[in-house]
Parts: sequence; structure tokens; C-alpha cells
Amino acid sequence: MRSTADMAPPSAAAVDTPNVTDPSLYLEGIPHDRFAQIRATPGLAWHPYEDGGFWAVTRHAEVRHVSRNPELFSSAIGHTNLWDLEADALEARRSLIDTDAPDHTRLRRLVAGAFTPKNIRRWEETVRAITGELLDEFVAQDGGDWVDMVAAPLPIQVILTMLGVPTDDADYLVELSNYLVEGTGDAQSIPPDAFGNTTELRLLPFNSPASHALFEYGEGMRQQRQNDLRDDLVSHLVQAESDVERMSRNEYRNMFHLLVFAGNETTRTAISHGGMALAAFPDEWGRVLADPGLIDSAAEEVLRWATPVMHMRRTATTDTELAGTPIAEGDKVVMWYASANRDEAVFEDPFRFDVSRANSDHFAFGGGGPHLCLGAFLARLEVTVLLEEMAKRSICLEQTSEPVRARSNFVHGVLSVGMRPAGGSN
Amino acid sequence: MASDDLVRVVVDQELCIGGGICEMLEPEVFKLDDDIVISSVISDGLLPRDRAAVAVDRCPGQAIAIVEGKA
Ligand code: SF4
Repeated sequence: MRSTADMAPPSAAAVDTPNVTDPSLYLEGIPHDRFAQIRATPGLAWHPYEDGGFWAVTRHAEVRHVSRNPELFSSAIGHTNLWDLEADALEARRSLIDTDAPDHTRLRRLVAGAFTPKNIRRWEETVRAITGELLDEFVAQDGGDWVDMVAAPLPIQVILTMLGVPTDDADYLVELSNYLVEGTGDAQSIPPDAFGNTTELRLLPFNSPASHALFEYGEGMRQQRQNDLRDDLVSHLVQAESDVERMSRNEYRNMFHLLVFAGNETTRTAISHGGMALAAFPDEWGRVLADPGLIDSAAEEVLRWATPVMHMRRTATTDTELAGTPIAEGDKVVMWYASANRDEAVFEDPFRFDVSRANSDHFAFGGGGPHLCLGAFLARLEVTVLLEEMAKRSICLEQTSEPVRARSNFVHGVLSVGMRPAGGSN
Repeated sequence: MASDDLVRVVVDQELCIGGGICEMLEPEVFKLDDDIVISSVISDGLLPRDRAAVAVDRCPGQAIAIVEGKA
């Protein structure tokens, strides 16, 4: 364990590590030049943060190593975000994200069945119908805010349908998600007692009173389904929760929170950046229109391009070593997916949006291992169907305003961006 | 050794997190049980070495292993 006395940067290279955590940097987009500089520096970079720091893992190969060695790099110690949580807060907030085996395995199996490639395929027609309606409206209105009209409503409506939550509440749940995104940054626009919250913020996911509101909503759903089980994901969780060996009440509430938030915010981000990429690289989209066989690789490229979750943190369980740099037990190790997805050693010309890119080994869903994004196949389905439906309608996009980006070093969120349908068949 | 060499794969059910990627890749070999959401090998487990390696690599639970030795 690194003692407080050695909290000084453990290596000489650390002095030069450019800052990549200041949330305000991300208002201009991912600071790719800074990540490129860290990637190019041999060994691991020590990045100062609050009273300590973390190892910034920025290259593809090393992110993969950390991600796939959960026994060396724990999700359950400290926190999976950059700052540590006190023990009671960690316990209160513990979800699939911040557990290791065997708790992680137990919780993951409770929901994994709904998200298998085979079971996700059953939602294709639902996704297609929702997508078609949103696109038709977008064209009929001659465009508008791409986030509001397409990127946000598509994933929230799909995940709510799977959960069995009324889609009439989609706007409210997206609003809560927006406050949660704020909570990942350093500037919350709502007071601690918003939504009638009385819980200390440090005990709530993303320190946000919106988490209280989402917990309340999930509890309401639990009570409704308790006496009226249906064929939906909430009913499935409520059944599991009735057996405390399988899931506690606290685990239920955190699982509901995670499914709603991660199930909408991340794919919204992918679709937001996807739209911006199609507008910025019209020739690439033209290639897809000319050859629909490129849709699958284009969808993977959208995911790589977007990197909706920019990092996850692990904590070393033992003294170990990575890239020739010794890591001490208890050190924070942060996997920067946003950087790995632009690693020039793996992706040729990584800053080119290439719809036929052969290498789809991106880390939009994490670097592999047990914490691989639960919703990976759902997100792929949504992005793929969106591209198919746009191609079917020959919709090209023209960006009409600068994006408003989230002030967050964690989620690559876009709050709004104007788009207009251009070209097209009519 | 040729890559179409057959090798035997096994699933460690303790590690399986039930995502069903194995079943998507090799439906003849892996099957996810719908109730317990754990995968198992339903065939003799034989796969060409390169395809077995893909299954091992893609399995997020790191639950699939290749058993060496003549099948
Ligand atoms: S891919 Fe691995 S973790 Fe997923 S179901 Fe198959 S064996 Fe289990």
C-alpha cells in the first residue's frame, strides 16, 4: 500500500502528465492532444488528482490488460470513479459496476439473460418501429435538436419498454438522467433537496438528488409489480428481490437506477456523436448509402468514435506492474477508453471516421472482462437499426449548430446539437 | 500446428456471467440455460483451434478454456 509519505508523483514522468480530468476541458470535446501525449510517453503516467493521483492507462493493450485482470484490478475497492467513497457510501451505492466476483457474478446473472444477443434480437421490430417514427418526425419538422428528437428518445423508449416502465414517463426519466450527468461533473444545477431529497448527497450515485428521485421511481415500480407480475424486466427483478439470497432491496434499487441511466444515457451519447460524424464526414455516409453492406462496420465505427463512457477506474489489489511501471497495492488505475479508441498502434489513422474500418476491437463497451457493458448488444442493435432506417430513407445530416457538451470527464455527453435532414430521396 | 486442429473447450460455470456470447459464436457447442443463466457445453466440445481461441477471447467471464491434449 502506498503510504501518504509517497503520495508525491512516484515517477519523474509524472511531472509532465497533462491534466485530463478537469471537467471544463470536455466542454470542447475530449482533449485528444493531451491523451496522445500520454500515450506516446513510455511506461505509465502518474496523474495527480485531489490529494493523491492515479495511473493513467491510455494505450489499448494496457487498458485491455487492466480490464481483463479483475483479480489484480478491483472494481469493489474505493470506487470506480476517480475519487474514493467512504465505506458507507460505497455500500449504499454498490451496483453491478462496483462489485467483484462473486457478488458481481450473482447480480450480473440476474439481468444477463435479458441482454444476450439472442434475446436482444427479439426487440429488433420494436426498435425499428420507434426509430422509424422518430426519423419521420425529424424529417417532417425539417430537423431540429438531434439529441431531443432522435438520440435521447430512441434508447429511453426501448429500455423502458424492456423494463415495463410506462414510456409516457420517458421525458421525466431523461430529465433525471441529465441531472445525473451533471453529477459526474463539478457543477450541479439543482439544490441538494431537489425532488424532496433528504439523503446526504455523498450516499447517492453521482452525488445527485436526481438519484433519490430515480430510487423513488424504482420503488414505486417495485410495489406495483409485487402484486402484478408481468413479463418484463422489473417483474423479473422483483421476483429475484423477494429472495434475499439472490438480491437485497438495496441491490434492487441500484440495479433499477443503473438500467434506466446506463440504458439510455450511453446510447443517446453514441447516437449524438454518430449523427455529428455522419454530418462531418458526408462522403463516408455516402459510401454506406451506396453499399448497405457497410452498415455493420459503420455501426462499430460510430461506437468507437463516440466512446460514450470515457473511463473507468480500478484499484490494485496487490503490488503489480504494467508497461514496466510498478503499481502498488491500493493505487488507483484508470482505464481511459477515450484514449484507447484513438490508439494509433491499433487503429490506423484513428482520427479518421472510416465506415469500413476492419478493426472493430474498440472499447466503447469497456476493455473486456466481466464488466463488459451489459447492454452492448442492445446498443449495437439500436445504432445499427438507426443507420439502416436512415439509409432506407436516404437521410443525410447537415449540422446546423455547435453541440452543447456535458461538463464531465466521465460521460461523453452531448446535451444538444442542431441537425437538418439534407439530400434524401424527396 | 494447423489452425483447423480440433481442440476441446470447457466452461467454468463459477466464472460464467451469462451474456451468451459463446452461444452466439458457436451455437452447436455452447448453450445458455435460460433459468440459471449459465452456459454449458452441449456437444463433444470440439472446435477448430482458431474458433476456440475466438470464443475464449470474446468470453467476458473468462470462463471458457481450451483443454490441451489429444481429443
Ligand atoms: S461467453 Fe462466457 S460468460 Fe458469456 S455465457 Fe458464454 S461462457 Fe458464460
